Amino acid sequence: MVHAGSAAGFGRQKESGRAVEQLINPFLLFLGLALGGVGLCAALPRRRVNPQVLGAVLGGLGLGIVLLALGLKNPGQLPNYNFYIFGFIAVGSALRVITHPRPVYAALYFILTILASCGLYLILSAEFMAFALVIIYAGAILITYLFVIMLATQAPSEDNLESLADYDTQARAPFVAAVTGFVLLASLTTMLFRGVGDLPTPTAPHPDALLAEMPNKASPDKIMLALDRRGELREGDQFAGLDPLAGTVTLQTIDGYRTVAIPPEVKVGNVESIGFDLLNEHPGSIEIAGVILLMAMLGATVLSRKQVEFEEEAKLRQSQALAATGQVFADKEVRP
Amino acid sequence: MSPGLLLSLFPIAQAGFPEPMGGATLAPYLFVSALLFVIGMVGFITRRNLIIMFLCTELMFQAAGLALVAFSRFYLEHTGQTFVIFVLTVAAAEAALALALVVLLFRKKDSLSGEEWREMQG
Repeated sequence: MVHAGSAAGFGRQKESGRAVEQLINPFLLFLGLALGGVGLCAALPRRRVNPQVLGAVLGGLGLGIVLLALGLKNPGQLPNYNFYIFGFIAVGSALRVITHPRPVYAALYFILTILASCGLYLILSAEFMAFALVIIYAGAILITYLFVIMLATQAPSEDNLESLADYDTQARAPFVAAVTGFVLLASLTTMLFRGVGDLPTPTAPHPDALLAEMPNKASPDKIMLALDRRGELREGDQFAGLDPLAGTVTLQTIDGYRTVAIPPEVKVGNVESIGFDLLNEHPGSIEIAGVILLMAMLGATVLSRKQVEFEEEAKLRQSQALAATGQVFADKEVRP
Repeated sequence: MSPGLLLSLFPIAQAGFPEPMGGATLAPYLFVSALLFVIGMVGFITRRNLIIMFLCTELMFQAAGLALVAFSRFYLEHTGQTFVIFVLTVAAAEAALALALVVLLFRKKDSLSGEEWREMQG
């Protein structure tokens, strides 16, 4: 990428300006972000005039400008085109989460955001986390939210907005919040794009290097079985050694040695890598996470415990009985 | 439509980390992540319903998770994905406590508005 003479100024300013321009034209970036901010501000819920369609169009336009400009500068390094589908669904439904006046719909749109970001995780080849996210977030946490919404919201009988509570239909300071948010986003993206273009591309570690540390997975029996299933064994072949870094299995034949590639069944997948990383590198963190979950469960139970009130008459009877006899017997009498 | 054609049309998942990806490919993911975070933040400020405010914090957790996974893919390391597990843990704990609080507050005032609790200062 040659951008000689594209940036005016001198010294440090020139360098940083060029670094942002490697990825995106700053004018387009700020134009897109400003459009997005105006769209978001228009789409936030209001009582009277509510130009949500206009806001959605403006917001989508701004987001589209930034993403297109990001792609056009580096056509050789475009992300997988599924990224655009999932990214638009994720951001669009996230916008809907904060602009929809009804809490139930907001929660449902949040599930859509989660599913779309699972798609992004899949593109980023994080398969285990993608499905864990579906199970934990969309399946457990959001269902809890839905239950609480059902418990704590007065069900509006009519289908119009007038029947909704005031705190749902009127946003607090939408203009100031949108301006603040998008100024933050502009500075954040400028800094990100300034640095990201200069990051050196890391070299890939060997994909099978972990096999050397997993003696149970890469045991001779399993390797021979997998090779046998693939039909790569000849008469009299015996296991002689495994070389994960070269990606080969050495076999002892009748007249010497030969090497074959490691069968794909034995190779390390995403789930195994994450499990290995989790238990090998962060065993203490798992314990702490367990304690955090336990404390959260205890806290939630204690907080939401409801005190059952006796009726006035029962209280009176209890106090009389307490005065007359001992506490133990009074307890027995009052309880129905 | 044959399954092979379908797979070539939708090359979503690959096994393991296939090949390094450049910084210019990482940038759009970071942009989406930053956008989700800011949307969550704006929602937390503007909405007055307590439940939606906590939903917006979950949105911010989600943005952090996306950035972690994107960097994990960029650096070809699994630690980023492992960290998402802990982000999930914290999100679950937060959701449980926050929702218990919301139910408690709703019982007291019969309203979900955050501004009902203005006098709880100091």
